[in-house]
Amino acid sequence: MERKRSGRRYYNKRKKTWTQQCKDYLRQFIAFLFSNIGIICLVVGYTIAGAFMFIFIEGAPGNAIAVIDRVGANRSGTADRIWDMVCCNAYCEDEWKREVQVHLRSFQSHVIEAVRNFSYEGPNKQMTRWSFSGSFLYSLSVITTIGYGNVTPRTLLGKLATILYAIVGMPLFLLYLSNIGDILAKSFKWIYAKCCLCRNCKKRRKRMLAIQRKEQWKMDMRDFKLNTGVLTEGEESDDEGTTDGSSSLSFNDTQEVTVPISLCLTIMVGYISGGAILFSKWESWEFFDGSYFCFISLSTIGFGDFVPGNSITGSGTSIGTGTYTGIGTGPGNRTSAGTVIELSFILCSMYLMLGMALIAMCFNLMQQDVVMKIRTCTDIVRRIGRCKN
Amino acid sequence: MLMDVDFDDDTPNRCTTLVYYAWKIFTCLFLHVLLVTMVVLYCLLGAFAFERLESANEIEVKNSIRVMRMNVTTDLWKYTKNSLVLQQDNFTTNVTARLQKFEDDLIYAIKRKGWDGEEDTKIQQWTFTGALFYSIIVITTIGYGHIAPKTLNGKIATIFYAIVGIPLMLLCLSNIGDIMAHSFRFLYWKVCCYTCTRRQRRVQSLRRSRSQRSTTRSHGGSRTTSLKRTGRISQRSADSALGMSDCYTRSSYSDTECRYYDKMEREYAMFGGGMPVKAPNRYSQQSRYSDTVPLRRHSPAIKPRSTSQNSGHRNNANHYYHGRYRVQDPSYSDGDQLDGPELQQVPSILFNKYALDREESRRIHPKQGHEIRRNIRGHSAAPNLATETPSGTLRTNGRSKTPQHLVVDMLPMDHPDQDYYPKPKFRSRHRNSNQSRSREEFLGGSGCGGGGGGKGKRLEVMAPSPRIMSPLGFAVNRQYPRRSTRYSDYYDDTEPCEFDDNNPDHIKPVPIWLCVLLVVSYIIMGAFLFKSWENWEFPDSAYFCFITLTTIGFGDFVPAQRVMNKGDDTKLRIWFCSLYLLFGIALLAMSFNLVQEEVISNVKTVARHLGIIKDEDEEESE
Repeated sequence: MERKRSGRRYYNKRKKTWTQQCKDYLRQFIAFLFSNIGIICLVVGYTIAGAFMFIFIEGAPGNAIAVIDRVGANRSGTADRIWDMVCCNAYCEDEWKREVQVHLRSFQSHVIEAVRNFSYEGPNKQMTRWSFSGSFLYSLSVITTIGYGNVTPRTLLGKLATILYAIVGMPLFLLYLSNIGDILAKSFKWIYAKCCLCRNCKKRRKRMLAIQRKEQWKMDMRDFKLNTGVLTEGEESDDEGTTDGSSSLSFNDTQEVTVPISLCLTIMVGYISGGAILFSKWESWEFFDGSYFCFISLSTIGFGDFVPGNSITGSGTSIGTGTYTGIGTGPGNRTSAGTVIELSFILCSMYLMLGMALIAMCFNLMQQDVVMKIRTCTDIVRRIGRCKN
Repeated sequence: MLMDVDFDDDTPNRCTTLVYYAWKIFTCLFLHVLLVTMVVLYCLLGAFAFERLESANEIEVKNSIRVMRMNVTTDLWKYTKNSLVLQQDNFTTNVTARLQKFEDDLIYAIKRKGWDGEEDTKIQQWTFTGALFYSIIVITTIGYGHIAPKTLNGKIATIFYAIVGIPLMLLCLSNIGDIMAHSFRFLYWKVCCYTCTRRQRRVQSLRRSRSQRSTTRSHGGSRTTSLKRTGRISQRSADSALGMSDCYTRSSYSDTECRYYDKMEREYAMFGGGMPVKAPNRYSQQSRYSDTVPLRRHSPAIKPRSTSQNSGHRNNANHYYHGRYRVQDPSYSDGDQLDGPELQQVPSILFNKYALDREESRRIHPKQGHEIRRNIRGHSAAPNLATETPSGTLRTNGRSKTPQHLVVDMLPMDHPDQDYYPKPKFRSRHRNSNQSRSREEFLGGSGCGGGGGGKGKRLEVMAPSPRIMSPLGFAVNRQYPRRSTRYSDYYDDTEPCEFDDNNPDHIKPVPIWLCVLLVVSYIIMGAFLFKSWENWEFPDSAYFCFITLTTIGFGDFVPAQRVMNKGDDTKLRIWFCSLYLLFGIALLAMSFNLVQEEVISNVKTVARHLGIIKDEDEEESE
């Protein structure tokens, strides 16, 4: 009686599952879509919110302009002092040069201090530091823990905000990564299975055959057990387990294919070199520098020695030639350069978000492959061990 | 035939046990000693390599600054000489322009050529210590960027160094974090909660002896520590074993499951306490879902995949159970555990105690409803337990005081738990080894006896949940709830350690606030230290510690940068900072390890309450 009841219950459960399966799948699909699209939106929205917040906190240009003014004042002061020297004793070359060296040295130390403590980047650079795209990249670099450090908060409030922002943002980004990485891995595996089906045909068939054989053997075993009267209870659950197992086998069939590590590595290398080409075009870096930047960024090391949008100061020679033409042409240059920098910031952000998800995917796939290989290895070892005895 | 199976079963066991121990020793050695040594050696190697590659370039850059300044001087001298009439406005404008160019060159040298602002070639960034610091910064992915390779060779070397070093470091850190988590958990529960656990234990033993005489629910509920269990303690021996097995299958959600078992236990107590009319229904209901998460039990539709997995477990357990069970019979012909209940026809209340015997008596008295119910429960609720306990019996001859609950329970009725109960809390080591060994035996046995059971397991293994590098720079070392227990010991050595901590009866979750407090106090401590060492403001140094430990690494504050002139002091500071950040990241890994399951389950519960996640799709929410 007990057995019957349990059997019916199982039956009921199964029936329910079958009738609601369609609805269930739909709901699951919606949940799936929501959770993934949602997490992308969430991360992007969080980053944009962070960008506005940091603009609000740090964006006050007073500080940067003050630094620039100070350096400019020091520059003209040095020039004045040199003029004084010219007036007084401009006749002994060695002595004059020594004097000028002293002034230059003091000027140099002033500049260095400005660069180090106030991240002074030249007189034309103050506009891009906490622009929208600049702070967007900053927020992204915080939550991805890349931390370029080209733009850093200077005020106490900014630092505090950064800490709180990171505490919330990093788990969020981790969620994004694991979610998107999972989806990418699944879809990539599906594509891989579909594309390489012909190549894998033999292997797969062999595996299926082995599974079938095992199942057959299991059935035999169970029959035997039933005959010997050992198996009285749990029969239903057995049956269910078997059927469900086989159904999930077909469900998991495409997911069962492991993508070889070499392919994952190729994808990663391809993505990095693609990024290198892109950045070398946009930022006029060399190809190698571009790939170095991509690697350092995607591995979240983030030295910050190459940062997109720095090309204007970066090429010191162009400024050097342009200096004598005067500062009057500044604003026009600045706006065009500004748009370029904005664009490259946005591009870099997109590249990073996609790239990190892709890397997560590759790690996911590689992990599966490695686990699979280790498993077969242990299987083999165990089999050998058993044969010996 | 039964003897035959037994023979087949036994021989690989010995072999695999041997292999297993060899592997265990090897991994222990490899992971805990070799790994750290490797990381240290790798850092030293990197230090040598980067020093060789970069220091020449640095000296060159430093010399180039002097040349640059000389050029400015010469230019100015020439200008002064060549201009026939010296007007102040004209002169200063031109000199300012020249100075501006000089300034740009300086900035370029700082930003791009990695000049540190010093001209003295004796004070270098790329000394051995500096390069060592750089290597650590690279492989922990902090990346301050205060020194970065500037030569092509240096950049290439950095890329390859990072490719090898980052995984190595991750491995090492997660390993160290694991060890630290274990020792911390142990410390916390042994030292901090010693008094409360001892009191608990006394209460337990008292209650146990009482509950053997009569089963009442009245004194259930006094032991509501982290587990919120309210049930008769005498049942806990069996039930905790069930819970343990459940944790094998789905180790991450033990909290909720505890609550569930709690419920089960209570009903069980009622049942044992003379309400057999009610109990059968409930049992048959609960046993059906007993290896699903409790919340899932109420959901009308169960996701097909999870259903298959659960039933896969059940299936597996059944298969194995029967396989082992038959094996067990002949091997112990003295068979106390067989004959005892069989002959004595122990009343049903006492049968509660003999959890394993239910198998025997089920066969012998299949009509006894009570026993059947127990069987159902045993089958479905304890898939892995079923695999373990009999094998444990097999090895230990069934009556040694092994930590397996059921084995102990199975002993004849002279209050068998009393041997066991005085030490229920800190048996983890012993039990761990036992479990893994018994699992090991299962591995050997399943090939012959329960080969069919392997299939369900294998399918579950197909989709290991995706773990990636966390932003904190170490691998999120989650236990995969559905990983096959058959293989886990072979390639994942952290797992057996994880298991014993996840027993609901012995899950000793270190509270989240404690871990947070630990990290915060570490940061504050570091802030004070750096404040005194570097003369930073307190908020600045706290900010520095945070940015460093989260591996963001802006590089706006870097230790030992402003005071390069002080030789030895700098070196000491760099060493100290390296130690601080390595230990800090390990500490973060540890606290992450400690709280992650709890946090995830909490978040999930909240999400479920809010309706963001439905009960079924747990995978999506991870």
